[in-house]
Amino acid sequence: MAGQVLVTGLGIVSGIGISVQDTLASLLAGKSGVGIIKYLQTNHKDIPCSEIQLSDEQMCRMLSIPDSVPINRTSLMGILAAKNALADANITPNRALRIGFISSTTVGGMEKSEQFYKDFLENDTRNEYIKIHDCGACTEIIADYFGGFSFVSTISTACSSSANAIALGSNLIKQGILDCVVAGGTECLTKFHLNGFKTLMILDRAHCRPFDATRAGLNLGEGAAYLVLESDENVQARNAKALCKVAGYGNACDCYHQTASSPDGKGATLAMQYALDMSGLKPSDIDYINAHGTGTTNNDESEGVAIMNVFGNSIPPVSSTKAYTGHTTSAAGSVEAVISILAMQEGFLPANLNFKNQMAKLSFTPVRELRRNLKITHVLSNSFGFGGNNTAIIFSKIQ
Amino acid sequence: MGVFIQGIGNISLQNTFEQIGFPEPVWYNESYVRCIDPDFKNFISPIEARRMSKVIKRAIATAKSSIAESGIEMPDAIISGTGLGSIDDTEKFLSAMIDNNEKFLQPTFFIQSTHNTISSQIAINLKCHGHNNTFVHGGISFECALTEAMLLFAGNRIETALVGGYDEMTPAYFKLLNKINTSGSLAGEGSVSVMLSSRKNEKTYAAIEAIEVLYQPENIETSIEAFLDRNGKKAADMDIVVLGINGDAQGDLIYKTIAANLFGQKAHAWYKHLSGEYFTSAGFGFWLAANCIKHRQVPPFVALNSNSAGKLQNLLLFNHYRNKNFSLILFSAC
Repeated sequence: MAGQVLVTGLGIVSGIGISVQDTLASLLAGKSGVGIIKYLQTNHKDIPCSEIQLSDEQMCRMLSIPDSVPINRTSLMGILAAKNALADANITPNRALRIGFISSTTVGGMEKSEQFYKDFLENDTRNEYIKIHDCGACTEIIADYFGGFSFVSTISTACSSSANAIALGSNLIKQGILDCVVAGGTECLTKFHLNGFKTLMILDRAHCRPFDATRAGLNLGEGAAYLVLESDENVQARNAKALCKVAGYGNACDCYHQTASSPDGKGATLAMQYALDMSGLKPSDIDYINAHGTGTTNNDESEGVAIMNVFGNSIPPVSSTKAYTGHTTSAAGSVEAVISILAMQEGFLPANLNFKNQMAKLSFTPVRELRRNLKITHVLSNSFGFGGNNTAIIFSKIQ
Repeated sequence: MGVFIQGIGNISLQNTFEQIGFPEPVWYNESYVRCIDPDFKNFISPIEARRMSKVIKRAIATAKSSIAESGIEMPDAIISGTGLGSIDDTEKFLSAMIDNNEKFLQPTFFIQSTHNTISSQIAINLKCHGHNNTFVHGGISFECALTEAMLLFAGNRIETALVGGYDEMTPAYFKLLNKINTSGSLAGEGSVSVMLSSRKNEKTYAAIEAIEVLYQPENIETSIEAFLDRNGKKAADMDIVVLGINGDAQGDLIYKTIAANLFGQKAHAWYKHLSGEYFTSAGFGFWLAANCIKHRQVPPFVALNSNSAGKLQNLLLFNHYRNKNFSLILFSAC
């Protein structure tokens, strides 16, 4: 059908694996990536996080990037994930194809800036890293590794960023501007983020427990994930196989508070409703909700209420996969889009790890244990950011 | 499809916020320059404003001013572009983190450091639940925001949108910028908000026919011709081209070559000598383009040649950032 946006490739790196296969295996085994900080140089090593189990040097070697090139961890992770996604789709970016790269990040090159900031101000030894501090520069490092992209852009809406990248990519294809878009996000752990979230007092010192009555905050994670989106025509022309389609997406603003979600879940409710409206699906058609579910007191209650607002008495299975990957902030939207698509393809529901105690306010219980051999046709993935930037995306099997 | 400019708020190095039309230029001798700010009390309560950085206060002021001018009650979407967001708050949190060895940190600077704070503070201030997004792609951040708005209009998903470009300068960032910039450009800052609508009326400045952002085009001249052709126009149809010339000899050569090759007989104008160069300086160019069409006038202090701008029916705003990111915006008179 014309105007359809198809997904033809997935790439993901996170604390639970550096490939789609590893990620799937971890989800099926109930294996979490959250643990003791190994790579980030910080005084807060006692705060559990989920890191990618590769050093920058290892990633450079895997990607044949010489040590002399100024680069940051966010870009390296992004290149790894985008490379996997392009290989999965069997696409090499080139000028004959109208192909775009849309990435997202919250703090861009901060990982190097926070190490070299004194040098930035006091001497000229690290000037190359000033140039790659801004968010767009990180995206261009990734795009330039491959070459061939004719449209490149970067979105930053905190923890919903990469969901908005997927939505923009889909709009560009629907309007016939591009044939193919690699869309997603990347964010490495930084002291800036770790300390920032710490000042907000929303980091759990133990393993996070999304949707549990005793939840006490989130665990940060790092990750990168991209989807290859293509027009139906392009998929047909190159005789490729689509994994699923982007059925709908909605973006709404909670506009309640800069860092808190509203008690009535207004923005989240609207985002899910808009996504359903665009897809033409009824709430009862949704087979699985991959929740934003950060594990903070505020998010899980607000999101839970929003899910109840939209789905009423027939709430589909819900789970948060943040206890596996940690909260990968800007990358969370695309990381969880990949997980949602894997759940649909493989017919399983990822368990909501660490859940034990029912929240009094919620009428539903998250998926307690892994369930397999299910027919999953439509999945909804929620991504909510600071400032009330709420986005929901629906992926559907191609009938 | 028509998309019409219904209101603009512009806080810049010039007196663009308080005055209508083209204010007399203010020239600067010093290199570290800041915007001419209005009294923010008219837009934000002093309690709210107390903790806000300049970039957020300006964004709220220009947003409210452009909405008021348009007569539209509430935008369907708020889409912002910013190269660095609140760099002031980012620096404060970063410095405190380094100086205090990751101890004794306060959340306010962290909260305001995220780039999307600008769009969300505008939304919270207006109580606007609509589509909300933030683009952070260096020198084309404003144009990316406008691109998304145009896509949403084209898909009939919105009827109005508030689009803006916001960046601020700080002493520390100015110092860093001087280390990496080879150009002779004036460093600036600014806040431009634009109210767009799918309906035109007597308030309309101009129509936006199309926008395109390009990444490392192989041949920008051919790309411009193809862009105009896709929109049913030829280079000869343009009455004026507004160029992003900024004093950087290498970068300016691209503008001059294009202007000579494609638009040799046409009027040429520039604006970065008034706005300074910053990630979202194209917003100021947008303000100039819209005003030239609205007032059917090209003020002498922006003219680059003596060619007539004719009826000022068609205008091309052409910008590039470090010869890597290019943007084309086609305006027409209504």
